[in-house]
Amino acid sequence: MKNLIASAMIFMMVVSIVGFVSPIEKLVSEKTHISFFSITPLEDITANNYKSGSTLDTRTGEIVFSVPMQSFEFEKALMQKHYNGSDFLDTKKYPRSKFVGKITNLESIDFEKNGTYSATVEGEMTIKDKTNPIKEQGKITVIDGVITAESTFKITLADYGVVFEKGKPASNIAKTIEIRFEGEYGVE
Amino acid sequence: MKIINFLKIIIILAAVGISVALGAGIYLFNMPHRNVQSAKIDFAVSATELVNEYLTGPEVADEKYLDEEGDSKILEVSGKVSKISRDFNDQIVILIKDTGDNAGVSCTLLITSNAIGGKILEGQEIKVKGVIRSGAMFDPDMNRYENVIMEKCDIVSKI
Repeated sequence: MKNLIASAMIFMMVVSIVGFVSPIEKLVSEKTHISFFSITPLEDITANNYKSGSTLDTRTGEIVFSVPMQSFEFEKALMQKHYNGSDFLDTKKYPRSKFVGKITNLESIDFEKNGTYSATVEGEMTIKDKTNPIKEQGKITVIDGVITAESTFKITLADYGVVFEKGKPASNIAKTIEIRFEGEYGVE
Repeated sequence: MKIINFLKIIIILAAVGISVALGAGIYLFNMPHRNVQSAKIDFAVSATELVNEYLTGPEVADEKYLDEEGDSKILEVSGKVSKISRDFNDQIVILIKDTGDNAGVSCTLLITSNAIGGKILEGQEIKVKGVIRSGAMFDPDMNRYENVIMEKCDIVSKI
């Protein structure tokens, strides 16, 4: 009888602990799409990257992206060579870029309830050896446990040491480019 | 007469020169991307060896495998299929990661290889050919290991 009562108490304790622990914690995304757009009167340039990784901690709001820079694919091979080269992104020396930040309005996002939520993200972006603060708006969508994050923002290339002063790149590549991010998160 | 002939030669040479320069410019502007699958393999390596090379000496590994203009080394990587998924571009992504390894090699197949990729099963031993984009590392901000990234891959064989 004592054993039965003890087992029942242990069962109740386990149930209450499980009940208080959120089922969603640190989520991982390896299904991502980052694209960038450079628009000038002379030429529009787009590149796509499907190989970035990201983590999202739904308890703290911490969000991290790691971007393999050589995975950006351009329509034209010559553009891709220029982009990777030491005068531009120098991707052999700096093979990954990174964003480390936090969702600052975590209280207005319910990761366990279907819906679309606005998210404010603040953090630091590192491209090559330059790090700059970033504060942008994004969107979190929850559909039956699948969490998707999206954001569109602009960066100024000169802030990251990418400067074109002469030649075709100076006239054909925009000084400020638009970046779009989309990631689908799940438990690893 | 001699002057006219001389001018003719100059004009012809200039025309040839301009045509060659124009042709070279047009070729460079429209230069096709490297065909990874028809190019020769630079290194054949197991997923475990490749991951360990990066985790023990990332700078040496980057110097060995990455190219300044993005035409990085073409690898044939062998190992066990740990996970199969699809990316936002509907390409099949095969993670080759041997049991006990901290990281693996994430291989995105060419869309033209989806038919053969669809027949691969988790747990199979395979060989994949593709281009390396970045190496494996432990990311302290993510608190997890990142895989070696390979793209434009095709299945060489099931072992």
